[in-house]
Amino acid sequence: MSKSTQTPLGRTARLLDLVPFLATHQGIELKTLSENFDVTDAQMVADLTTLWMCGLPGYTPLELMDLSFESGFVTIHNAETLSHPRALSDEEIIALLLGLDVVIASLPNDRNDLKLIALDLVDRLSTRSSIPSKMSAVPATPGSVRAIIESSLLEKGAVEILYHSSYSDETSSRVVTPIELREENGFEYLWGVCQSAHGLRSFRLDRIQEVAPRSKSAEATPAVNNEQRDGISYTIHAHSRPREAIERFAINKADFTENAQVISYSIEWIKRSVLASAGSVEVVEPASIRAEILNSAQSILDRYQRC
Amino acid sequence: MSRKIERLINLTIALLATKRYLTKSEIFRSVEGYEGSEETKERMFERDKDDLRNLGVAIEVGSFDPVFEDEAGYRIKPEKYSLDLGEISGVQIALLSLAAEAWRGAALDTSAHSALTKLRSVGVESDLDALPAIAPRFNAAHKDFQIITNAISKRARISFTYVSSTLELQQRNIEPYAIATKGSFWYLAGNDLEKSELRTFRLDRIDGDIFISKDAQKYEIPDGFDLFSHFENQELGKIATVDVRKGKAHLLRTHALSTVDMGEWDRITTSYISSQKFIELVLWHGDDALIIEPQELRREIVAKLTEIVAHHV
Repeated sequence: MSKSTQTPLGRTARLLDLVPFLATHQGIELKTLSENFDVTDAQMVADLTTLWMCGLPGYTPLELMDLSFESGFVTIHNAETLSHPRALSDEEIIALLLGLDVVIASLPNDRNDLKLIALDLVDRLSTRSSIPSKMSAVPATPGSVRAIIESSLLEKGAVEILYHSSYSDETSSRVVTPIELREENGFEYLWGVCQSAHGLRSFRLDRIQEVAPRSKSAEATPAVNNEQRDGISYTIHAHSRPREAIERFAINKADFTENAQVISYSIEWIKRSVLASAGSVEVVEPASIRAEILNSAQSILDRYQRC
Repeated sequence: MSRKIERLINLTIALLATKRYLTKSEIFRSVEGYEGSEETKERMFERDKDDLRNLGVAIEVGSFDPVFEDEAGYRIKPEKYSLDLGEISGVQIALLSLAAEAWRGAALDTSAHSALTKLRSVGVESDLDALPAIAPRFNAAHKDFQIITNAISKRARISFTYVSSTLELQQRNIEPYAIATKGSFWYLAGNDLEKSELRTFRLDRIDGDIFISKDAQKYEIPDGFDLFSHFENQELGKIATVDVRKGKAHLLRTHALSTVDMGEWDRITTSYISSQKFIELVLWHGDDALIIEPQELRREIVAKLTEIVAHHV
């Protein structure tokens, strides 16, 4: 429950929204109603009791709203004045507009009909907001990929993914039993048991090119290989653009010193990352990684000079 | 606390139900909860009006009698108070529900949730079965994300500490125009008050809290301002020709405009905006990608490679 729902203003807003909701959900169970408004049952009863004291001037039973909820089911009558839902606030419209953008991007290409309906909603909402600028969202991950993974998480089934690994620069098909979706450094990852690698692996969602549920019969409980992959420890020095270095190498800003120690899991990734830093990052040690980087850079340089 | 809430609700009902402006004395006489001395009632009423306005309830002030403009009156126009999205179908409600759902656990969860409650009160059943299974989701972004949207709605300035490319901590004062997300990052665009120009900020580079200015200084957001098209139009994309090894360099290939088969290699053309970013992407692919044209880009990448060699000999 958010804090704002307990302030007098937060509660007033909730009560105003409660009336139209009840008017269209007559006989709703108290429990369901509390869940809908994200409050406890006791809080909901307190809210309903307050509402029961409100109505048109005069405040006789004829003017007061008529609520009944003792049975555990809630009905409301005599509440016409408040029975229309309140207009959306600008902040609510921003949330919906950005949300619609990612919904549109996630709809399959053959559902142009739905995209048009959603675009029409974007239009309607935009004209009802007082904000003249455009809010746009281009999602990192197609919503269809998430939907399949989420349902396999619920059903505890496996999925087959076509995954592009950026550091090996290879696309491969893998069978994964999903364990969870997790967010790290702004990217969303699927954690799961990879049947091809017999171990726990993480996959960045925006690099999953295709995903399909795996049929139940094809599944065997995957054996987890618990060997911990050993990290490679190395030290880097940023000659320029240090912000990029800490973002690329995922170094905590507070830990960033002139020579920062980093741990990674693949030589290939380290090499690519240092090359892509385009001269702003130097590996100070170990000497073996320095040598590899020197070799790579020198051989690419030679090719540029040859042709 | 309940008394205050009751009074606010009763005031809303009275002002919504009236067909004409109600004067203050009429309100004090008829709406329950206004008690005490004249001065106390006045103060209560002023505060209540502010509170309702903060909730987005538009209270109109008008003249009670057009001939004798002696006392101001108040009312809430039902058409301003109520949600009106026009005729709405079950499929539309379902699409809006998915849009709200995308915020679950993320920054605008509360706003999305309250919007959804209002939409569900329209009395149209959501037709979720009509939609394919999709579950788009926003990432968490900055903890003070809501302050930015709040500031944009109020046209209030914000300030924060920003990490510059040299890791310097800079204090920024911004009139925010828009927020947008692309890929995994959130961006904020606005008028930088010190620099007097439009700037874009990546939210994950904001260090610590975002503060909203309390002063009433308002600003205008340019009509139709679009963060992405604004910055993309400033620099038109340039075209590069790159040789990429067969079966490799997927990240470069996904943006290829043309591909010519050359045996062991493919020659692709691709557009780029920032030469710095493009060189980084080519270098990421090591000896699987070689820039052929333009010459100036080749010179630049050779200079970078020379630098890398110099650092590691």
